[in-house]
Amino acid sequence: MKALISDETKVRFRLPARVVSVVGALAVIASVFLPWAYGHEALDDVTFTGAPSPLQSFFLLLPGLVLLLLVVPFLGKQRLGRFAKAIAWNTSARTGSLATLATVVIALAAIAIELKGLINIEIGGWVAFGGALLAAVGTPLLPDSPEPTLDRVKTPKWAQIVGIVAMMAAVLFLASFALNQTDAGSFLTFGALLVGVVLVLRQLGVLGWLSIAAANNNRVLVLSAFVVAYAFPFTQNGSDANMSIASQVLIFAAAALGLNIVVGLVGLLDLGYIAFLGAGAFTAAILSESAFSTVDFHPPFLVTVLISGVVASLLGLLIGAPTLRVSGDYLAIVTLAFGEIFRITMNNLDGNDGPNLTNGSNGISGIPDLNFLGFDFGQAHTIFGVEIGRFANYYWLMLMVIALIIVVFMNLNYSRIGRGWVAIREDELAAEAMGVNTFALKLLAFAGGAFLAGVAGAVKAHHDVSVTPDQYVFLESAFLLAAVVLGGMGTVMGVLIGATILKLLPEKLRFFSEYRLLLFGLLMIVMMQFRPEGIIADERRQLEFHGEDEQLAEEIEEELITHHTHLFPERKGFVL
Amino acid sequence: MELFFQQLVNGTSLGALYALIAVGYTVVYGIVQLINFAHGEIFMVGAFGAFATWMVLGQPTNWGPAASLMILLPLMLLGGIAVSVTVALLTERFAYRPLRNAPRLAPLITAIGVSVFLQEFVRLFYGRIPGFPDAKSAVPFPSIAGISGEIIQIGGVTIQMPAVFTIGALAISTVFLWFFVNRSKTGRAMVATSQDPDTARLMGIDVDKVIVAAFAVGAGLAALAGVAHGLSYGNIDFRMGFLAGLKAFTAAVLGGIGNINGAVVGGLVLGIVEAMATTFIPGQFGSSAWKDVWAFALLILVLVFRPQGLLGAKVVDRA
Repeated sequence: MKALISDETKVRFRLPARVVSVVGALAVIASVFLPWAYGHEALDDVTFTGAPSPLQSFFLLLPGLVLLLLVVPFLGKQRLGRFAKAIAWNTSARTGSLATLATVVIALAAIAIELKGLINIEIGGWVAFGGALLAAVGTPLLPDSPEPTLDRVKTPKWAQIVGIVAMMAAVLFLASFALNQTDAGSFLTFGALLVGVVLVLRQLGVLGWLSIAAANNNRVLVLSAFVVAYAFPFTQNGSDANMSIASQVLIFAAAALGLNIVVGLVGLLDLGYIAFLGAGAFTAAILSESAFSTVDFHPPFLVTVLISGVVASLLGLLIGAPTLRVSGDYLAIVTLAFGEIFRITMNNLDGNDGPNLTNGSNGISGIPDLNFLGFDFGQAHTIFGVEIGRFANYYWLMLMVIALIIVVFMNLNYSRIGRGWVAIREDELAAEAMGVNTFALKLLAFAGGAFLAGVAGAVKAHHDVSVTPDQYVFLESAFLLAAVVLGGMGTVMGVLIGATILKLLPEKLRFFSEYRLLLFGLLMIVMMQFRPEGIIADERRQLEFHGEDEQLAEEIEEELITHHTHLFPERKGFVL
Repeated sequence: MELFFQQLVNGTSLGALYALIAVGYTVVYGIVQLINFAHGEIFMVGAFGAFATWMVLGQPTNWGPAASLMILLPLMLLGGIAVSVTVALLTERFAYRPLRNAPRLAPLITAIGVSVFLQEFVRLFYGRIPGFPDAKSAVPFPSIAGISGEIIQIGGVTIQMPAVFTIGALAISTVFLWFFVNRSKTGRAMVATSQDPDTARLMGIDVDKVIVAAFAVGAGLAALAGVAHGLSYGNIDFRMGFLAGLKAFTAAVLGGIGNINGAVVGGLVLGIVEAMATTFIPGQFGSSAWKDVWAFALLILVLVFRPQGLLGAKVVDRA
């Protein structure tokens, strides 16, 4: 953009550009109250005048923000005081209007596809498109704003806490709204809107401010995040479809978090991770009171979970002990081979090609629901007048498991062990020379990751009701790895986001299920080329992938010094 | 004893197939230290390329043995090799080359992506070519008169002609590889680069070209293996690269990764072990359902007791 339009032109035409953009934003806002389509089937019925549909009213958000950003500067620099520089008014408005255009186009495309033809778009849709186009043309003509400094503004503690709680409430509300979009068009449109809003907030510096607030009030953040997560089933009105997806997402995320320790922290590429999940699931299934269970020993679930975890971690030791010594690339292939061995073995232990343990490819079905200290997970309950179904029970259980994993992960990350892991990842020889027991630490990570997968697998067995060998194929390992890579290796938040995206999108966008794997392969290639550190970057990781980028190194150093002083109270900063 | 020789023949032909693919792993690894995870898919693509050549030739089914062996088979081989080499060079250029100085995890993950992408690409789009069969399930491979279904009987041992073809292809390729590596300029540049890339560059060797040559040689042999697979099993499948690639990698490690002779020996040993295991392991665990397990168990055993492989001299300590 900078190269296209010179700064002088921008300064000269700033007033007309602003007016044009304001008109555009106003047009999009007005269009919300007009009908967008002729047919009722498109989106969530956008055919009314003056009464926007729920999805349609969300279109007020982005242009509203843009309008605010464009109009407030009319007050003048003096009256704005320190906010004149704290917020990147023009640049944010630009991002906002481009995002508006993108979402409007997606919405109109969804209408056109669902109703078969552009002819079905009514006046409101065209007004929205025209307005968004005007704003998207006008705002790039505005002069660039300096980098926002909102995140440096000193704010009282209560304001930070209010900010965090507000964010969490928004997350809860938006997530439940998004999940309730049943057709792909609405879901995509809403998703694009959310991405647009997040981009604008990031540009504004609100995200930066929030991340500092979160870092300063870690307990509040974690607590409110879990309150929100626990409250999620109450927003679903007993809908089992969404809760089933949500509980699957959590099981997937728990396994991905375990893999994250191995891949993200220690840098060991494990391509057979799903086998550990499978080992846990099969152990739990065999020890359950299913009619197809082949062993006459049915301990209570708490014992089963521990056994599952131990079985998985024993397998981890078995595979890790020989291969972690030779290190490196071999591990990837050996774990891959182990994944195949596991699948084939589970297939063969059918009484025909081997002793009967797993019923071969039929697997073990009819696994009863968990019964935990008299609490039956299969039973629906009514809490606060909302029906809480079977999947919600598993959802809550998995939430507890994930909370446990996160606590362990965070503590390890900042412990002697965690630092040893990162040292191994960055330079194994140097770490060894510094006295890090690399083999023991790698083995610990490997077995620990396997244990977590085993626990997740034990819950998965009861959640899925049946366990078969073909649920635990290489592709699932690749998906877990993709969740870690996509979200951001070594981060908790990133992996949670990655797991959610990878599990949720295929459920909601059925139409592309045929191309799912193709896109997935492409995504892995493209991610590695352009953003190998993932959506949410771990700072050390980011430096690792962009070693020669001096500017980035300085930025990260500065950020560590200014934002994370709480981590290093003994010093007034942090030296990289 | 007859059974032993029969299994020896079967194992050798299976092993020759692994060896042809394993050379690709080992050559690329020797030069760029990259496990080209997608190499199994290059093998699969080669088979589909040969099949496409047969389709383009008008699906000839009634050619006599002479014409089939002298014209049809060479054309199909060339077609398969052309497709394999093209795909391999494209992945090298656009997926691996930009990551040459990236942390080691990045190219490995890219390789997984390439592998999944190639499989899905064939599955989804092969059948879209007008007149081509749908590749979503196994595609029957054309039979070549003079090879398909023919057998040679020596005593009580039956030798399938496709097995002879596979072993012959390996033998010729090995001789070709020996001359290529030891006599040609590019081959010697490859050896120099694998020993010390920086010094090789100082000596005026174009390392990029050498890497391209390594990918091309590996892909060419993988395409031969693809055709051999089609002839031996009678059909080709978009999934066939996964297991074959895994086995071939095992073979490369078994022989000593980075060592071309090692890949050939490793492939043959692996094939024979697999064939023998299904015959001579008593009881239920000797059934053919377990043969892959024994192959991978062998890989793990090799890594424990002889990580440098059967013929590999240098200890692998690269992270």
